[in-house]
Amino acid sequence: MLQALPPRVLPIIPSGIRRRTVAIAASFLLMLSNSVFAADSAPQVTLSVAKAGPREVEALTQRSIVRDYKFAWANLDLALQSNSTAPLTGLLVGPAAAWLNDAVTSQRRNGISRRYSNQVHKLDAVFYAPEGDVIELHDTAEYDLEVLDGSRSIHTEHAIARYIVLMTPGADRWVIRQLQSVPQFE
Amino acid sequence: MSWSINILCSDRRPIQWGAGISVLLVGLVTLTFAQDVSLRPPASAIAGNPAAVGTDGSGSATLYLVGPSITLKRNVELGQSISLSAKELQTSGRYIAIVCASRCNSVSFFVVPAKPVSLTFLVHPSRAPVAQNDAVSGVAIAFDEFHNLALTSVPVQFQLTIKSSAPMSRNAETHDGIAWFRSSSGKSAGPLQVTASIGGDVSTRRVVQQVASDPCNLRIKGERTAKGIVVETEPVRDCSGNPVPDGTLVTFTAKGGNETSSVDAPVKQDVARATILAKGPVVISAASGVAMGNEVRVGGGD
Repeated sequence: MLQALPPRVLPIIPSGIRRRTVAIAASFLLMLSNSVFAADSAPQVTLSVAKAGPREVEALTQRSIVRDYKFAWANLDLALQSNSTAPLTGLLVGPAAAWLNDAVTSQRRNGISRRYSNQVHKLDAVFYAPEGDVIELHDTAEYDLEVLDGSRSIHTEHAIARYIVLMTPGADRWVIRQLQSVPQFE
Repeated sequence: MSWSINILCSDRRPIQWGAGISVLLVGLVTLTFAQDVSLRPPASAIAGNPAAVGTDGSGSATLYLVGPSITLKRNVELGQSISLSAKELQTSGRYIAIVCASRCNSVSFFVVPAKPVSLTFLVHPSRAPVAQNDAVSGVAIAFDEFHNLALTSVPVQFQLTIKSSAPMSRNAETHDGIAWFRSSSGKSAGPLQVTASIGGDVSTRRVVQQVASDPCNLRIKGERTAKGIVVETEPVRDCSGNPVPDGTLVTFTAKGGNETSSVDAPVKQDVARATILAKGPVVISAASGVAMGNEVRVGGGD
């Protein structure tokens, strides 16, 4: 049995209330986005060693690499946000350290900063030297990148980036020696 | 290039605007011309080479270049190519060119590594016993002149050379900048020169000291003297005939009746020597590592 539907009546909202509603909604969204940034946790790092060779990656080494890579990226973000090289001490060496130092120095000179938030890194070990003195990793990273000129945001993107990483064992940790972004892995 | 016009209106207020016009919907009208600048990335960018980002439009703007090792900011003129110098593009990786006029637009591009000009060559171990399987290994990592990992696959020749032997070659292709080899050590003690080279003009050399392996075929002789029984080995060599290093221990054991005594003696100039104080006939044997020597019977001497 068909029933006649009552005519749909749109509520009439005074324009002042409508503007206030929009303003409140905008404030709420702003607060939400701030809380998302505040809730931005440490980088998430996972490691697969299925493709590694010729040496097998020992379980302890796997744990160390994940721990140190995660720590390095958290500090790399901090360094590029704060334009200070202090957080990078000892985590990056060789070319990787030199490049990051140059990046921080040039950012500071120009009043620019960048932040990498919501980082997720999926590491694949693709080469582990026979004597265990170097490991090569493919990092498929996902993060939100924001570039700021002073306090003005000039660029934001959700990036999926790929890095070829060389890590070597140091005295008490694995350090990043090469961190090179590539369009794709071979 | 596209232009958009935004008109912002304030509250509706009836405004007297002359005869015939009772109400006008006019408040504050703001015209904003927001310019979308079209950017074109370099067709190809190689580390240490200049490149250019194309722009459309007109007027001045600010360029930001954000790269792996650089961040720069400078004024540019729209409608012209923005030149990026060789020095600004030395590091391989992803760059973002951001151009801000009334609004910001960006384009990203990759700078690829230049050709390899150096090899980092890790060789292990520094000392290797002769005639051991998979005893020597090497990892070669190719870099361009700006320390970028040279990612294009190139053939690497590994050459292992030891004096008085024909050199041995291994070929490998780099993968993500890395090539490696593993090899058995040679049969002769001495310096093993290991060379990694790319195309003949990029070459790095390392040296592995090949040392004698464990002793093999111990032979001893002994005779009674006034001070006791003097026993000594013939020159102690490994199974490949290389004299073992000085300091290699040889254990001499003397059995006489119910008594057994032993003494350790280091090899000195290929020979280990010891004096055993024993009366009566004894049987003397020697051992070093897993190698056992012959037995020597020495009479009582009375």
